[in-house]
Amino acid sequence: MTNPFKLVFSNFKFIALSIAIFTPMLIGLLIMSEYIFLEPYVVGHLPTGTEFGFTLIVILSILSAIVIPMNVFRIKLLHNSKKKMGGGIAGSIIGAAAGACSCGPVGFAVISTFGSVGATATAFLTNYEIPIRLVAIGILILTYFTTAKSLKVECKINS
Amino acid sequence: MNKKGVIIGVVAIAIIVGVVASFSSTPAEPLNLDMSRNHGTISTAMASPILGDPNAPVTIVEFGDYQCHQCYNWFHNTKPSITRDYIDTGKVNLVFVDMAFLGRDSSPAAQATYCAEDQGKYWEYHDMLYNTQEDKIDGGWANSERLKAFAFSMGLDMELFESCLDSGKYSKRVQYNTQQAREHDVRGTPGFFIVASDGQLQIAGAQPFSVFKQILDQLV
Repeated sequence: MTNPFKLVFSNFKFIALSIAIFTPMLIGLLIMSEYIFLEPYVVGHLPTGTEFGFTLIVILSILSAIVIPMNVFRIKLLHNSKKKMGGGIAGSIIGAAAGACSCGPVGFAVISTFGSVGATATAFLTNYEIPIRLVAIGILILTYFTTAKSLKVECKINS
Repeated sequence: MNKKGVIIGVVAIAIIVGVVASFSSTPAEPLNLDMSRNHGTISTAMASPILGDPNAPVTIVEFGDYQCHQCYNWFHNTKPSITRDYIDTGKVNLVFVDMAFLGRDSSPAAQATYCAEDQGKYWEYHDMLYNTQEDKIDGGWANSERLKAFAFSMGLDMELFESCLDSGKYSKRVQYNTQQAREHDVRGTPGFFIVASDGQLQIAGAQPFSVFKQILDQLV
């Protein structure tokens, strides 16, 4: 029985792709959510009461770094359609957007640019930050299993 | 002649009544605004009263929104240590400047703090808002009824507080403060300026105590 995870990540190129997705995504989300500050000093900070949000960001980054390379593998090596790639990308974007707005620079820029529509969108993304991230994680998990299942079938046929 | 005298008499009485009425209807509300007050390049004339020793060599100017979660985090995780080590010891003072931009309840919440200031309770009301902040922006926790309920629970004169809040007396004051934030390129809340005699340093975000300590120890 083929293990899709091992199959994909036995190739160094896909490990490199996974790291290239995980690292900037994690660091970017941690900066936007104010867990990491770059000025005036580079410092990490996990305020009391924000541990759950931090954990969700880490899970989201790990899942994105697994699901997206698996889909790229399907497309490149098995010459399959790009349809299933959408789940991975969508999950990552939805998860990244949640909570990134809030009262930080992104939220302020959105509200300043788009006025009341931006304020409504920012309030929504802030108010439902945790549920949105959970939905994004759900989408990524679902995408992982459907991709793994199809890889099992397709690899069997191809071998 | 008689007609003229009557007219003059009526006008004189009207003026007297008008003057008396205007004095009696002016509420005895101290404004305590020092219009020349600046900290560094920031006009803090319309901002909060100074927390701590007004003669402290360093001032932290905080730009914040009462609905901002990161401001809540800073209030609970960083500010207590700054208060203990720097404000209570007279080394540093703090001024809060409203940057009310997150939602429709942000400005009324900021205005309510100044209505509380009229009764000498600015910082108590400020602390009350950050202690009772709820997760949802515009979720109702800072609507007009709740703002009045906070005032009631603090034992404020409700007639004065309600007339102040309902009239929007401090609406322009909050707008002025928010404009100060924009003019100083504050792009999110909380935003800080550490102001000393030889300049000012901007800090963005709810940064930990260690960052403030590192900067303040060089200045005091």
